[in-house]
Amino acid sequence: MAKLTADFGACQGYANCVVAADDVYDIDDDGIVVLLKEHIEESDRARVEEAARSCPVNALQVVDG
Amino acid sequence: MADQTAVFEAVREGMIPAHVYNDREIFELERDRLFNRSWMFLAHESEIPDVGDYVVRHVLEDSFIVTRDNKGEVRVMFNMCLHRGMQVCRAEMGNASNFRCPYHGWSYRNDGRILGLPFHQEAYGGEEGFKKKGQTLLPAPSMDTYNGLIFISLDPDAEPLEDFLGDFKFYLDYYTKQSADGVEVRGPQRWRVKANWKIGAENFAGDMYHTPQTHTSVVEIGLFREPKAEKRKDGNTYWATSGGGTTYKLPPGTLEERLAYVGYPAEMIERMKESWSQDQLDVIGRDGFMISAASIFPNISLVHNWPKVEDTDSDEVLPFISLRQWQPISENETEVLSWFIVDKNAPEEFKALSYKAYLMCFGSTGMFEQDDVENWVSLTNTAAGSMARRLHLNSRMGMKMDGSEVVPALTKEQFAGPGKAYVGYGEYSQRNLLSKWADYLEREPEPAKGISLGGAIRGEQGRTSCSEEQNR
Repeated sequence: MAKLTADFGACQGYANCVVAADDVYDIDDDGIVVLLKEHIEESDRARVEEAARSCPVNALQVVDG
Repeated sequence: MADQTAVFEAVREGMIPAHVYNDREIFELERDRLFNRSWMFLAHESEIPDVGDYVVRHVLEDSFIVTRDNKGEVRVMFNMCLHRGMQVCRAEMGNASNFRCPYHGWSYRNDGRILGLPFHQEAYGGEEGFKKKGQTLLPAPSMDTYNGLIFISLDPDAEPLEDFLGDFKFYLDYYTKQSADGVEVRGPQRWRVKANWKIGAENFAGDMYHTPQTHTSVVEIGLFREPKAEKRKDGNTYWATSGGGTTYKLPPGTLEERLAYVGYPAEMIERMKESWSQDQLDVIGRDGFMISAASIFPNISLVHNWPKVEDTDSDEVLPFISLRQWQPISENETEVLSWFIVDKNAPEEFKALSYKAYLMCFGSTGMFEQDDVENWVSLTNTAAGSMARRLHLNSRMGMKMDGSEVVPALTKEQFAGPGKAYVGYGEYSQRNLLSKWADYLEREPEPAKGISLGGAIRGEQGRTSCSEEQNR
């Protein structure tokens, strides 16, 4: 399993993560990222990491655990 | 701008000032008064079967994204970012849950709602500065569908599509509703020709007169059984509300025999009998007419023909249907979009052969297409000159000097279809098409209302209509 983290203060509402993986990331009415899952399977890690990397302000991480 | 009243008067009498086929001022009138108002075809629903599917299509310069949103609804949205006007979708077709503007990174869900607005809080002060809730890419002012054909109008007060199509729906069903599940399309092939858009629309609407001359070679090589002069003059041409077309006269026989004569297999004929009204069946079975080419005002055409697809001595034929759009680029250039249409429930073998028949005859490689376009390009070139400003082309075929008819219109007992139909050569449909054209061009345009987004303008809060309110 891998764990998803977000720096909610850094998020600027680009929503690139939602475009890349809308089953994992969403955005609330204030334009701040919402994590729809806390953990993901290792098999899904590559796809979600790509979504996290698409964040222009580096607010998203996928970490072990 | 020059006063065009004399042009419209001449056109209504069936005398066409030749320069209308290559005239900048006329083209600008067409843009402002015709294409800005009329219902315009964009796509068929079968081109976007799955959630997230989209195609990008145009009404002249205006780019529209036609999507199937996450709820399965068809949406048509103006392809321009609300912020700086960049195109948010730059591909021609694909599947996407969202569209992101490449300029500043604003993103939109596939129903048009704003998703991402970078630095909303810092840059605009959040909702107090730019109201993003409920904002969407601009929906097409009017949108509706018929038999899966998606139309829009840039006029928010456009009459309902069904009223606009009117009695032509009767004929449109032959092409697009051969069974309860409708049709699927392939394509479009897309190419440009240096010809005015009206020429193709007029040709398909009623020019059975050109077939024996322009398409002689197609008959000579044995591809086609029908378009000999004596065959074409037995057919009729009709006009009904928004469109008109040509028909062939079929040999004597029952409904089933006549549909089989043009190559439909028995199972498809059975489904046609369930899908079409008694009048629609009577046009074929009782009256012996088979629909062929047609145009819907202003710039959609259809064609139904039945060439020989097998290279044998047998007379076996197979029908195909094509839908095409004459998309105006300028007064002397047209982008042709050509789709192949086939009944969704047709046997796979029929679909394959029908597609082959289409490709032989129409589309960018089609033999009929090549024959036609040489004429249209040459005509357009000549129409630009000074002499063309003096010549009024005679488009009065089928009508005497005093306006009376050369042959009487068919009665309801002779032809079960709506509108007016005449057997033999005549330019009835071309006159109807251009009269409608004159009606649109004569009417002054209403100034378009501005739409201001997310902020204040002249004391008013501007906003787009919420996506839920878009017409369906």
